[in-house]
Amino acid sequence: MLKPLIFGLALTLLALMASGPVGGAANHEVAEYTIADATGDWGFPSPYAHYSRGPGYVRMSFIFDTLVWKDDEGYLPALAEDWEFVKDENAYSFDLRKGVTWHDGEEFTADDVVFTVGYIQDHPYQWVDSSIVDRAEADGDHSVKLYLSEPYAPFMDLVACTLPILPEHVWDGVSDPASFRDDEALIGTGPFRLLDYNKARGTYLYEAYEGYYLGAPKVGRIIFDKMSDQTAPAGLRQGSVDAASVPPEAVLQLEGSGLEVIEGAHDWNAKLMINHQKEPFSDPEFRRALAIAIDRETLVDVAQRGQAVVGSPGLVPPDSDWYNSDVEEYDYNPDVARSMIEDLGYEGEEVEILVAERGTVGWPGSRVAELVEEQLEDAGLDVTLRSLDGATLDSRVMAWEFDLALLGHGGLGADPDYLRRMALDDTLNSARYYENGDLVDLLEEQLREIDEEDRADMIFESQELYAEDLPALTLYYPNWYWAHNGEVDLYYTKGGIAIGVPIPLNKIAFL
Amino acid sequence: MHVNVWHEVVESNMGKAGLLLIGLMVVLAVFAPVLSPYSPRENTSTPAFSRPSADHWLGTNDARQDIWTQLLYGARTSLTVGFGVALLTALISILVGGTAAIFGGLYDRFWMRVVDATMAVPDVIVIILVAAYLRPNVLLMILLLSALSWPGGARVIRAQTLTLKERMHVSAARTFGAGWSHLLVRHIIPDLGPILVAIMIQDARRAVFMEAGLSFLGISDPSVMSWGKMMQYARVFTYLEVWKWWLLPTGLALSLTLMGLSFTGYSLESALDPRLREADHHHDGGI
Repeated sequence: MLKPLIFGLALTLLALMASGPVGGAANHEVAEYTIADATGDWGFPSPYAHYSRGPGYVRMSFIFDTLVWKDDEGYLPALAEDWEFVKDENAYSFDLRKGVTWHDGEEFTADDVVFTVGYIQDHPYQWVDSSIVDRAEADGDHSVKLYLSEPYAPFMDLVACTLPILPEHVWDGVSDPASFRDDEALIGTGPFRLLDYNKARGTYLYEAYEGYYLGAPKVGRIIFDKMSDQTAPAGLRQGSVDAASVPPEAVLQLEGSGLEVIEGAHDWNAKLMINHQKEPFSDPEFRRALAIAIDRETLVDVAQRGQAVVGSPGLVPPDSDWYNSDVEEYDYNPDVARSMIEDLGYEGEEVEILVAERGTVGWPGSRVAELVEEQLEDAGLDVTLRSLDGATLDSRVMAWEFDLALLGHGGLGADPDYLRRMALDDTLNSARYYENGDLVDLLEEQLREIDEEDRADMIFESQELYAEDLPALTLYYPNWYWAHNGEVDLYYTKGGIAIGVPIPLNKIAFL
Repeated sequence: MHVNVWHEVVESNMGKAGLLLIGLMVVLAVFAPVLSPYSPRENTSTPAFSRPSADHWLGTNDARQDIWTQLLYGARTSLTVGFGVALLTALISILVGGTAAIFGGLYDRFWMRVVDATMAVPDVIVIILVAAYLRPNVLLMILLLSALSWPGGARVIRAQTLTLKERMHVSAARTFGAGWSHLLVRHIIPDLGPILVAIMIQDARRAVFMEAGLSFLGISDPSVMSWGKMMQYARVFTYLEVWKWWLLPTGLALSLTLMGLSFTGYSLESALDPRLREADHHHDGGI
């Protein structure tokens, strides 16, 4: 009785071993690649269901392609092999790649692009302003022209490199795209297909799509696993994680254990929000005095332990192509600041600084607040700190119920249109500053300026105006690091993925 | 109350340990400036994340501040909040519970419903909400925590007073026309002593814990040192070795304080409640 059972068991085991733990992964250079993520869940990775933040888009981008993509050097032909701006018609024409198939075997054609452009008119896509593209017209199966409603400088980055193309044969007739969760909803043209998504545990499992038109992926499976930034370094050293974002203090240790560390661009900034709607902050001279009173270098040295770049009053980081080095720097000088404040008659003025802890690398928490408090006291102000939870702080800033507040945001590696959005948009991280007519005009105009050089001039000038009026003060740009084991050559995308996502998980690196 | 409760607490091992721990923390808090040459917010010239040394007994944190100093000053905050809440809660409990028991009737029913309502309030959420409108500081924290934690004590005091007021000497005082304040102060409170202290210790323990928790969440006066805040900071750097002399001692200090209060409270309770008492040892002290 027992013998045949054992024999049978042994046979089954043998069969299991022969088939291998990962079906079909044998021909991949890297069978499995695990990426740690502190948040975990970034939504169902379809274009309409992923969360509206960078990591959510990245998870979607493994499955769906755009017309054009970017790598570490610049634009890369994706679904479109070639493109051209037709000035007379204010349109972009794209020559599409031939022989591209959707994951279900259907052929990709110009009709899919036309469909997608039409679809986002009815169902706005969170990452692309659908009012920019007026209409799309197909010319045969492999050529398409996108007509813009008005000149739009950042079209390549913000539309061509960002808009995921949907398969018409799947999405036609889908009326509620956000809740469309069938298996079909994840049919794209990208290099990977989703095998499993666990919302509760925050995990994603992708499998290589062999028929990818830019070459078969060299990674068989990609796994996103939830793990805090603090435990990720240990996971990397033990080999249970292949890549993760790591805090600056862990870098030396990790490099010592033979891991590769890559440093990102300084496209996130810690920002002192100033309530320029009320006295005395409504006076630009007072805001300039604040900038001179705050020693941004000490903030970097003490609060960030040197792991940051000192903030530029013009918002654009010094390692950006769009950085204007002529902006007023407001070098630290407590005596000058004090006499400026005295001259304005605001000596001893009560100022409250709002601060919240977020526990993320670079976030301006109490450490920064305490230093700013001391420095402003030195300049003759009566400062109090107030610690709030993040959501409350956000809502008070939105409602202008504050004097000074510490916030931060990214996106500074993307198209410089963020200068307009961070000055004029009615959003939390924006300064919402309309007092300076010249600045407003300039920021609106640059968006329609197609000529690169003219636009650069406008961006440079708006930085100077912004720094002169100081509607908000950038304190520093923290250093960002990712560590990985070298199996996949990860890199930071030039200008960030799509609209500027500063995550080194470009799908092209996995081919 | 024929048992000498205090004597029993000091006699029991649990009580000794508890009082010793509380005493230790009080000494650390009171003599903080003597025990450390630094101020808690001072950015020293020693590099960040230094190991413990003769200059810095527990090393330095991310902002080059001395961790030992912060620990000492953190004890001040914890104990201030703990004792403050204990005193204030006891006061409210006596006023509400005591008078409710003495007056009875509608007045009693009203206060007991208030007690029920207050007990149902989720305190952390209320405090977060209040902190959004008022500037959190130590005094506000004491007021808030007291306002939310008096009902338990009030209930116990009321029950105890109800039995006390039927005692002979209280009835006698009443027949001689004693007013409620006289009854409460002269006859009820003295007999409430041990139970009152037990309630206070319980409230203090809860307050110390809540204060640490709230400042961990970032709801505290940023300019006041606190163990919760220290842990919040230390948590971010757990991948470095620094947790051993930053997170661990802070957690230990908080645990020891809570243990001190718990032990004292427990031994007090077992002295008060005959069912919890060890059989032989206290034979002579039985009721």
